[in-house]
Amino acid sequence: MHQLAIESLTARGFRNLEPLEISLGPGFNVFAGDNGQGKTNLLEAVYLLATSRSFRTGRLLELVAHGQEAAAVRAAVVEEGIRREQSVGLRRGLRAARIDGKRPASLAAYAVNTPVVAFHPGSVTLSTGSGAERRRVLDRIALYREPGVLGAVEAYAKALRSRQRVLEQRGEHSRDLDDWEDLLVRHGQALRAHREAAAAELGPAVEAAFLAIGPEGSELAVRYAPGGPAGEEAFRAALVRDRARDQARRSASVGPHRDDLVLELNARPVRGVASQGQHRAVVLALHLAEIDVVARARSVRPILLLDDVSSELDRGRTDALLRALSNRSGQVLLTTTRPELMEIGRLREGSRRDFRVIAGQIAVA
Amino acid sequence: MSPKVRRLVKLLARLPGVGEKTAQRYVLWLLTSEESLSRELGDELSRLRDELGPCERCGNVGEIHEGRALCDVCTDGKRDAKLLCVVARVHDLMAIERAGAMRGRYFVLGKLLSPLEGIGPEDLPLDRLVARIREDGVTEVIVATPPSVDGEATALLLKRELGPLGVAVSRIASGVPHGGDLEFADPITMGRALAGRQRL
Ligand SMILES: Nc1ncnc2c1ncn2[C@@H]1O[C@H](COP(=O)(O)OP(=O)(O)O)[C@@H](O)[C@H]1O
Ligand SMILES: [Mg+2]
Ligand SMILES: [Zn+2]
Repeated sequence: MHQLAIESLTARGFRNLEPLEISLGPGFNVFAGDNGQGKTNLLEAVYLLATSRSFRTGRLLELVAHGQEAAAVRAAVVEEGIRREQSVGLRRGLRAARIDGKRPASLAAYAVNTPVVAFHPGSVTLSTGSGAERRRVLDRIALYREPGVLGAVEAYAKALRSRQRVLEQRGEHSRDLDDWEDLLVRHGQALRAHREAAAAELGPAVEAAFLAIGPEGSELAVRYAPGGPAGEEAFRAALVRDRARDQARRSASVGPHRDDLVLELNARPVRGVASQGQHRAVVLALHLAEIDVVARARSVRPILLLDDVSSELDRGRTDALLRALSNRSGQVLLTTTRPELMEIGRLREGSRRDFRVIAGQIAVA
Repeated sequence: MSPKVRRLVKLLARLPGVGEKTAQRYVLWLLTSEESLSRELGDELSRLRDELGPCERCGNVGEIHEGRALCDVCTDGKRDAKLLCVVARVHDLMAIERAGAMRGRYFVLGKLLSPLEGIGPEDLPLDRLVARIREDGVTEVIVATPPSVDGEATALLLKRELGPLGVAVSRIASGVPHGGDLEFADPITMGRALAGRQRL
């Protein structure tokens, strides 16, 4: 397992953050501050640097500080002893990512180049929400394992929309319906295989992580639930069978767009039965597992971003989480309003750095 | 700015990839560099649409003689008339020609199936393609539509529509990147893609 860490970070024009330049430690970096000071913004800046995306919003212009034209985040990243310079810049209509001054092959390729996992209050919808977000987790893991997945995801989505459009505008007897369904089957089968493989790795890792950090006496089971029948012929037959129905309901009844990663707590669906605390533990377990699976696929520990854990978890759970993280030995950036809570975690001595966040200014504590 | 300059800038800015700024640079350049450049360019442009047009057999760029446009691939007697390569756009045809690996002739569809853009089978020149295959006694059709979703769907449609004619239908090997554009494939990749074509 080789090491991956951000050594130093600069940000300019990013939300409420004052122009900053900080050096980070290879282990735990704790950012403490009251609400509204810029802690989440800092993690978002790191996430943007690593993926060219935000975990909070799809509208990246929101990240540019009010009254500024552009935002830029830049960092020295060390992986396996080799230092690289990365940057992501945003301005109206433009997103530019660079590695050592060079443009990456694609933003999708850039997004998995510096593995990072973010846990933030909003990610609880992974457990409480619809399958869409869980499919995204599966696809992200599949992408780390095999970059070609992106092609299958995009091709499937386009074939799906195209078939639907043909059904709705030209009807069941359009000459090209068979062709779109052929493509749907081809790309759908590829996507399904990728997700199956991703889930086969992720599932057991989530279950194990939940045992470590979840409440006593509860057991989490995770399985991939495909949104359509197995096998090319059965899938194609189901599409043909459902044409009239799909036309009427304006969406396809079967296929990987209806996949889910089913989560069951003591043999009952998490969505119906779990308490808020249990949902949070489930999401944490998912993220911890993502770290493990990505670590295995890429031989590198992802950088972990933990936003506001103490408000999310009780004392005991926070302690268990920090212990689980210590064992995973990657770089962690963690925010909290209650730094004193973090003392109870058995953070590895000498590998902890403390910062204070006040009104967009970040200082070594 | 003089209205004449403004008008020319506006016209040039309608070209793909040319913005107002670039258009303005072009106009100034044409005004200040050698006079022959703008005169020759003007002559060529004013005759362009009388002398060149889509080849009536394949859709490639062809020279117009006595009101008929034919391209130099269609008039090249050394080409194998029984081998026909179907492409989406003239750009793709030119990319394949640059690779120099094609012994046969072409048929340009002009568009791809694309329900999202409102393009269905009726919008493709399938009747003309079938007529061309019959007339020339074509025995093999190579489908060289791009490896995008629309390109693949079009290839599948062609396979089904042409199958009953008894021609062999093959697809260029996907040496060209997925979702990519034939236009940008280099000659070597394109040559390999043609050589490695597969029966659909
Ligand atoms: N584009 C922006 N420009 C300037 N300030 C912003 C921008 N977006 C958010 N903010 C400010 O950032 C602050 C919230 O920062 P945040 O990191 O979410 O706080 P916390 O420390 O509680 O995590 C708010 O005061 C908000 O007004
Ligand atoms: Mg916050
Ligand atoms: Zn021609």
